[in-house]
Amino acid sequence: MAPRSSPSQSLPTREGFEWTRTHNHEPENDWLNTVAIDTNWASGSGSETVFQPTSVRASNESRQALCLWLPTFELRLELVRSPELDRTSVALLSPGENTRRTIWQVSERAYESGVRPGQIVSQAVSLCTSLTLLEPDPAHYDAAADTMLEVLTELTPIVEPAGRGRVFLGIDGLERLSGPPNQQIDRALSLLFQVSPAPLVAATRAGVAPGKFGAWVAAASAQSGRPVIVSESGLISFLADCPISSLPIDSIVSHRLERLGIRTLGQLRRLPELALVAQFGEDGRNALAWSTGCRIDPVRPWHKPQSIRVSLDFPNPVGLTGPLYRVVDQLVERALGRSCRKGRSVAAVRMSAYLDGGGSWVIERVLREPTSDRERIAAILRAKMENSPPTHAIETLTLEITEFGVSSTQTLLFDRTTEESRATGHLDFNHNEVPAALKNAVNELKLRIGHSPLYRVIEVDPWSRIPERRNALLNLDI
Amino acid sequence: MQRCHRFKPLGTPKPIVVHSDEQGNPVHVRLLGKPDRSVTFIRERWRIDDEWWRRTISRDYLIVILDDEKVLTLYHDLLTDEWYVQ
Repeated sequence: MAPRSSPSQSLPTREGFEWTRTHNHEPENDWLNTVAIDTNWASGSGSETVFQPTSVRASNESRQALCLWLPTFELRLELVRSPELDRTSVALLSPGENTRRTIWQVSERAYESGVRPGQIVSQAVSLCTSLTLLEPDPAHYDAAADTMLEVLTELTPIVEPAGRGRVFLGIDGLERLSGPPNQQIDRALSLLFQVSPAPLVAATRAGVAPGKFGAWVAAASAQSGRPVIVSESGLISFLADCPISSLPIDSIVSHRLERLGIRTLGQLRRLPELALVAQFGEDGRNALAWSTGCRIDPVRPWHKPQSIRVSLDFPNPVGLTGPLYRVVDQLVERALGRSCRKGRSVAAVRMSAYLDGGGSWVIERVLREPTSDRERIAAILRAKMENSPPTHAIETLTLEITEFGVSSTQTLLFDRTTEESRATGHLDFNHNEVPAALKNAVNELKLRIGHSPLYRVIEVDPWSRIPERRNALLNLDI
Repeated sequence: MQRCHRFKPLGTPKPIVVHSDEQGNPVHVRLLGKPDRSVTFIRERWRIDDEWWRRTISRDYLIVILDDEKVLTLYHDLLTDEWYVQ
């Protein structure tokens, strides 16, 4: 077993600044700040599979977790692509924003000049006039992350990503195949070396512990080439020194705890559960469970749903919104027409593009209500494109349906839980104020069977003692 | 094209086969195309006598609970001695 290091001594890095070990400007708070930012992975994309109670444990889960963490994954990829920038002040711009672009990740030199993640561009440039700003290339990052995940499945089938540059591997039962955890880590890194640039993999932090929380904290406190391995019996003592902000709970809760003078998990676990639950609700209960090692979240295999993907290559790069919007309409129509959709509605879409002169652009949208309506999906994408337009002309535009909903929209017609339905719930259909969804459905039925099979209930003699005289059905012909 | 609006009465009574006991209470009922069900409980009962001035209506209404826990509203037409479900 590798020598265990105290998290407070070997600090993980700030998001966008991975060199704090050698240039540690805030030795007291760095771990706290870093982890506070980094714990967003627990509530980010795919978080529903990240932390789950352990009461029901399936056979394909793994209690023992290996966490591999590549801090500032995206910036490192950019530096690998442009090695000449390695010794300059570089900052990566945050993706998906039109106005007030902010800094996402910064290099060591930029950090030394005072540039910090979250600053607006003008602020950063005024602090470091030689700052090189890079546009993010999300398609490139996603492709690199996917490649890494794929190669790691050679070590174990239980691979669970937690955002780009962070992955959990389930290593239960791997001892006989790959040796002790140290050798398993070496094997994982050698697999990564096969597909990823060496400078990127060399920066990987690795941690092994029971459960994902322990493994993440271990990886965050590890150094490159010096993994932290926490045994089952050593978990509680290892967690005792970890800061409160390492918990994947609401940052408001962790800030409140810090203001109360509770800074480590060791201090937290001395508090009675009832008091924590009374003060912080479910977060309080979870925080105590993690800090005492009672809650061990197993690693679950990642399931990537089969998406529908359609794309169009432009002979000449297109930057005008008019033609682009028409292409969006076409792509939506093509995607909806794919037989593999099997009548399912669309719940989430992703539109990406390769840009003229290099780089990429991505927008994603989870639909508030799944729909199969072409115009509705296209309108949502157009609105999103308007808010986050591509920075350059587009060479290739790709539409991907990433999540699917139920096949039928019948339940939505009269659903009073939706905003539109609530808004129209009190309206009188006599005045033709019929919800658009209902109107569409009626028109479709009329096309299929020749007449509207829908009726509305009208009151004829509501106080009649004879039940059949009270109400009647009137043909609803919209 | 002119729209044609037609009313369809809602809640029209449908004939039902009812076996009743000596007191006239339903014991078994059979809906069209369904198996026999026994009545486990009569939850409510009321009578309607109306419209004597044109076409007299005289019904004995019952809300019954069947052995499969379904609730039916039945009436016994006292003029024709027929049972209906409504």
